[in-house]
Amino acid sequence: MNSYTQITGEIGEFSDLPFWKKVGIADLLYVAYGGLIVTLVIASYILGALNLLKWDPQAIDLELMMAPPGTAGHILGTDFMGRDILSRLIVGIQAYFLPGILAVSISLFTGSILGVLAGYRGGRWETAITYFTNLVDSFPRLVLILLVIAAFKPDIYYIMIVVGLTNVPVVTSLIKGKIQFLRQKNFVEAAEALGLPARTIILKHILWYNCRSLLIIQATLGMAEAILMETSLSYLGFGVQEPAPSWGNMVQAGANYFMQGKFWPSTAPALAILFTILGFHLLGDGLNNMLEGRRGR
Amino acid sequence: MMEGPLLKINDLRTYFYSRSKQAFIRSVDGVRLEVRKGETLGIVGESGSGKSVTALSVMGLVTGGPGVITGSIEFMTNSDRKNLLDGLQDFVEITQENGRIMSVKKDVIGWERRSEEIMQGIRGGEISMIFQNPKAALNPFMTVGGQITEAIMLHTGIKDRKEAEERAVYWLKRVKIDSPRLRFGNYPYGLSGGMCQRAMIAMALASEPDLLIADEPTTGLDATIQSKIVDLLLELKHELGTTTMLISHDISIISRLSDSVAVMYGGTVVETGPAKDILSSSTSSKHPYTAALLASIPDDYHIREKIPLQAIEGDVLDTINIPPGCRFYGRCNRVTEKIRKRCESEEPDLREIAVGRNVRCWLYYE
Repeated sequence: MNSYTQITGEIGEFSDLPFWKKVGIADLLYVAYGGLIVTLVIASYILGALNLLKWDPQAIDLELMMAPPGTAGHILGTDFMGRDILSRLIVGIQAYFLPGILAVSISLFTGSILGVLAGYRGGRWETAITYFTNLVDSFPRLVLILLVIAAFKPDIYYIMIVVGLTNVPVVTSLIKGKIQFLRQKNFVEAAEALGLPARTIILKHILWYNCRSLLIIQATLGMAEAILMETSLSYLGFGVQEPAPSWGNMVQAGANYFMQGKFWPSTAPALAILFTILGFHLLGDGLNNMLEGRRGR
Repeated sequence: MMEGPLLKINDLRTYFYSRSKQAFIRSVDGVRLEVRKGETLGIVGESGSGKSVTALSVMGLVTGGPGVITGSIEFMTNSDRKNLLDGLQDFVEITQENGRIMSVKKDVIGWERRSEEIMQGIRGGEISMIFQNPKAALNPFMTVGGQITEAIMLHTGIKDRKEAEERAVYWLKRVKIDSPRLRFGNYPYGLSGGMCQRAMIAMALASEPDLLIADEPTTGLDATIQSKIVDLLLELKHELGTTTMLISHDISIISRLSDSVAVMYGGTVVETGPAKDILSSSTSSKHPYTAALLASIPDDYHIREKIPLQAIEGDVLDTINIPPGCRFYGRCNRVTEKIRKRCESEEPDLREIAVGRNVRCWLYYE
């Protein structure tokens, strides 16, 4: 049997539909979940930064080592030094929050500028920028990070600057490709014929209206990648150093006890990593579909 | 209503340098045109005859890359008179050897800056343009209303957004888009091609330009919509009296809208004159190309009797190696023995054969 979708109302009524009917329920759920995660992360960051936590994340309690979740007010239990895991999780956000934003800003800002130059100006600019991005791309990121750590010190900001810079080629080539595609469309020429200044055409018509969804996805993906980079380096001992908490070094510290059946010190941060990264990815995906999906091309 | 010229193009040459062929592609090669205030000038010609490039040259949009423009384009409004190509030649350096162009150096940035300087306020304000393929000419991610509002705020005295939006709705209504308030918030993908073109026309007219350039405004639309767009343009022409430069290869559209016509072939104008003279069916005192072009239009008689249409023999002129004689010589069917030699070796001038009629052909040189 055929299933028909009922079409109600007159032509044009589509624009009067409530917001949630226009964007699709799946995207809405994605964005809702992602938004929740981002809100939680930001709220926790503020909580931690303002020192509003019940337990001091650094306070060692030798009486209560490896206490399971729920013991004596420690909601997620304590780790091998008796420190509150929830507090450490919340403070651990500081390890990637600002550095991640820094990395994303670097890659988006530099990538947009280079992408616009390469795509809009073309010619020699494009050749030079393509060579540059290929050069950056061909260098293994981890080696670069280890080099920087060896040359300076294992500081998360240095690492994130490298992460941001090594992400530049991705953003550049995306923006460049998009602009080259858009330039074939007459509307850029039409906008020029309308007498709009080049700045308006590039910033408003091209970057804002046509590349914003792309930039938003890149921002969320970049953030997810920054978190992943931070946690994995901290896990390996190159990132945030003990006793400062980071999700990565928490997993690492708890991993020794995992096989003894004491799963909570490493499981809690591991799940936090999983759900946070999932949140950022879904947020990017959902926003992309919302912004781009219904517009047609 | 007809007054002095608003736009006077003199010996316009727009060349594109081809590095691989070491030569110029002479897209527009010595165009002389005049658009008088209040009239509609139709420019006809087959693909590649330089119609669109002429329009783009006027708009100053042949800037990037290897485009080189010489000649003069004088734009005369009531208050002002300026040459739109003033000083641009200084940014190009051409080295020639034995008549062959060896290299072209162009200060692209200087050229663009100068062009911007000249076109400031003219492009989009005093001269605006309607493009072919309206769906591609609108920004797909901006609402139609938003784009018109932007044009209004840029080019008219209205700086208040609310007021500009009202004005945009007014223009949407003016170009006969039904429920303009609803369409205002639509994105181009939600509109049909015809509606997009109406929106483009609204956008072009919203700045109340002195000159409107319509570059094949009906290409990419189906026949019924085409005729509706032409109706609209005709109506707006009578209501607003906007001076228009209409470019099309569709003679029926040209004949419905134009007061005078310029026929282009191979980068030059081969004939100009009042529309009714040039597009009439008589072949007397016409450029052979115009006559051949008119003969290639099907009419009732041809269709009823199933007579094959008369095509113009041969190919469009190669604009890189332009032969020394008349550009149309190779395809011309009216060469007489008397003038053959001249046709072959010497290019005729655009010569006035009657009041307001200019033809570029040796036939009329007696």
